[in-house]
Amino acid sequence: MRNITIILIALLSIAIQSNAQKFITKSGNITFYSDGPLEKIEARNTQVNSALDIKTGDFVFKVLMKSFVFEKALMQEHFNENYVESDKFPVAILKGKVTNISYDEFSTKGKYDAFVEGELTMHGETHKITANGTFDISKKGIVGISKFKIELADYNISIPGAVTGKIAEEIEISVDVMLKPLNK
Amino acid sequence: MKKWFKILIIASITGVTGLAYIWFFVYNKPHQDIEKSTPDFVISSSECYNHYADGNNSEIKNYTGKVLQIEGIPSSIESNDSLVVVVFVFNEGMFGDEGIRCTMLPSYAEKSENINVLKPITIKGYCSGYNETDVVLEQCSLIN
Repeated sequence: MRNITIILIALLSIAIQSNAQKFITKSGNITFYSDGPLEKIEARNTQVNSALDIKTGDFVFKVLMKSFVFEKALMQEHFNENYVESDKFPVAILKGKVTNISYDEFSTKGKYDAFVEGELTMHGETHKITANGTFDISKKGIVGISKFKIELADYNISIPGAVTGKIAEEIEISVDVMLKPLNK
Repeated sequence: MKKWFKILIIASITGVTGLAYIWFFVYNKPHQDIEKSTPDFVISSSECYNHYADGNNSEIKNYTGKVLQIEGIPSSIESNDSLVVVVFVFNEGMFGDEGIRCTMLPSYAEKSENINVLKPITIKGYCSGYNETDVVLEQCSLIN
């Protein structure tokens, strides 16, 4: 009986520890921006799911395409229907790893320059992504900020012939998340 | 000469009217006012979550991109920065609690923070889909 109790306590503490190393948010921010000769396009998504395992450096982002809000309703319609086909491909997923920050650094207050690499799956296509960013670690949690660029052609997103050359073929993506420990 | 002038004036007015229509009602048409929209579906919160979690979202019955009115007992109210989120929890996974997350319109933020999480409520909002953990409703308003 005593052994069973010890095993149960050990399993429970392992479970608590494994969750303590996970930081999550369900209201992360992603904005994208492109500046073409015809049109500047900017959209914001404030419903981004993100999880970071500070022990391994592994992270994941899940982004609902229909949660991107544009200034103009027409742009939003075109984005969902003609460009990313969000009914067919509703979620974009970025999975990767923070390669240069250790568990000890993630556990210590401070601001750290980060290098991340991973794979972005969007519109049915997957491509490798590398980016620089920062992690600001405080009592409140971990603030992660990064910017990177992607080519629309890599994700099989075609620009209609009528506006080819007038809309930028490269877009800049900005990520801003406040991750908090997963207390379960 | 007068006839040509009249045609020119009429053509110009028609052209300007057409361009104004395109500018105001096509290019700059307003976003859908979800608060004033009639819901496409009126369902319970559990029916809504199970629909996605069980993989039933299809072309035949698709809640994504629609205005939903859901009724249920909320599990918690989250506030961060300027956002207030009413949460209905049905499951647990790698992102913690899983269920329905309703981001309230700013005009309902204060009222939403005082919601009694033990009593059923009715919320209307735009369903932007299921991110494999939660069903996301945005621009939500409290019906009662």
